Amino acid sequence: MIEIRNLCKSFQEDKELIKNLNITFKEGELVVIRGKSGSGKSTLLSLIAGLLKPTSGEVIVDGKQISKLPDHFSTLYRRDNIGIIFQKYNLINELSVKENILLPLLPLNLKKRELNVRAEMVMSAFHIQHKSEELVKNLSGGEQQRTAIARANIANPKIILADEPTANLDEKLSLAFIEILKEMKTQSKSIIVATHDPLFFELDFVDRYIDFDS
Amino acid sequence: MTPEVLTLFILNALFVIFATVAFILSLRITLYYDKQSTTPVQYRLEKQSYLSATIIKYIFSIKIPLFIFFIFTLEKISLILPGAMCSAGVVNATDYGLYLLVLKLLNLYLFAYWILLNSQDMKSETQPYIKIKFQLFMALYILLVTEIIVESLMFFSIDIKDVVDCCGVVFSVSDNSYMAEIIGAPIFVQVSLFYTLFLVMILAYIKKLKRIFSILNVLFVFVSLATLIGFFGTYIYEMPTHHCPFCFLAHEYNYIGYLLYIFLFVGTFYGASLALLQMTQKEEYFYYRVSMLFNCAYLLSVSAYVLLYYFKNSLWL
Repeated sequence: MIEIRNLCKSFQEDKELIKNLNITFKEGELVVIRGKSGSGKSTLLSLIAGLLKPTSGEVIVDGKQISKLPDHFSTLYRRDNIGIIFQKYNLINELSVKENILLPLLPLNLKKRELNVRAEMVMSAFHIQHKSEELVKNLSGGEQQRTAIARANIANPKIILADEPTANLDEKLSLAFIEILKEMKTQSKSIIVATHDPLFFELDFVDRYIDFDS
Repeated sequence: MTPEVLTLFILNALFVIFATVAFILSLRITLYYDKQSTTPVQYRLEKQSYLSATIIKYIFSIKIPLFIFFIFTLEKISLILPGAMCSAGVVNATDYGLYLLVLKLLNLYLFAYWILLNSQDMKSETQPYIKIKFQLFMALYILLVTEIIVESLMFFSIDIKDVVDCCGVVFSVSDNSYMAEIIGAPIFVQVSLFYTLFLVMILAYIKKLKRIFSILNVLFVFVSLATLIGFFGTYIYEMPTHHCPFCFLAHEYNYIGYLLYIFLFVGTFYGASLALLQMTQKEEYFYYRVSMLFNCAYLLSVSAYVLLYYFKNSLWL
């Protein structure tokens, strides 16, 4: 469970982007945060991921105060609990699909055989196994996104955060992503999607919508 | 003003600037830090605590090896100071030298302890030593600034026209000082104390008596320094009347002094720190082992000089 309590975040002294926010995300819930650009959706995701520290207030995940963790422990928490799908995917172009997907597992020092099994599993789940050895820079937008989704899932995190996941995709690929989202929902992960894409606004499998414009 | 002294001055100026920034932040942290609070002030203080701890860590991490450079600088100055045969002459050339050396040795241990305390603090999510480490730094800041002031006074007071005493005079039995009493103490008492202390330390290590082991390590520093000057040094120089703790830092003795002091300081530091920090069992074993390893290396090194001399000459000094 993710609890946001009296959360405030400002990047300038006199302007608060997030002001006294109180939300609870239940375990296994799929929540879509709607709002136009600059409304603070991505900032909220970064605060939940421990990538940013709040100006005041708390982010509590499973009883642990994430916002109060020292930087090194924030990194460990993120590695073990969070999968992030970034708007621009943040893949490393010079590495292959498989190498990109395996990046979150590098610090765990797993055996090569286990790494291969886990990579095969997520690549097959997100239909990218045929491009396994291809360099990321040679992939299409949809393939890059599937690689990013596979990377976010490789460590089997409890929480998936997707920041504007369809911002760089056409409608057909966006609908394909929504199908993937539906599949991920069945795995009882908590999923939070921040988007202003109207394709997400009428989905029957979404548990809750939160409007950030207000 | 030699290039070495100039380097020390520049570094000291940088230390004072950065340490003052860290001191101001430490003062704020000591006064207002509240781990449970989620206010803007607390989040700002948490960020400042990382900055401050990083500044202090780097200052102290440079200051520790800089002690060796300081000794090296004294050796270089001794070459241009009339009468000085080694660093002892430079230390004794002004009223500040001896105080500076004692202060530097004390700071060496305290700075290293702060680095360990900070490292233990950063290993835990709750940062249990956060206030203590910044309070300790505030006290160390005063010692650091004092050391820098005394160091500057010492270098400014050296007059290369004045003839200074050589180490043979400074560390002589006939001198009317505490040093003369140490050197003049019966060799049997000195050596027995040294080896007995080490044996008791081994027992404390086997029984894992942490506090006793730490106290013994502190005693071992003093006893080792006294026996090094009073007894073991004479075998390094192969001269029964030469008791200088600096000459063996020179090229003629293959810089062996640096190695001996590193063995002694690292071994006793890790041993003494054991009782001062909360650690996991694994970390404790590591500290015990490092301490014993370096203390053993020290004991074997100084003992080897005595035995080698005896095997070569079939007599004791």
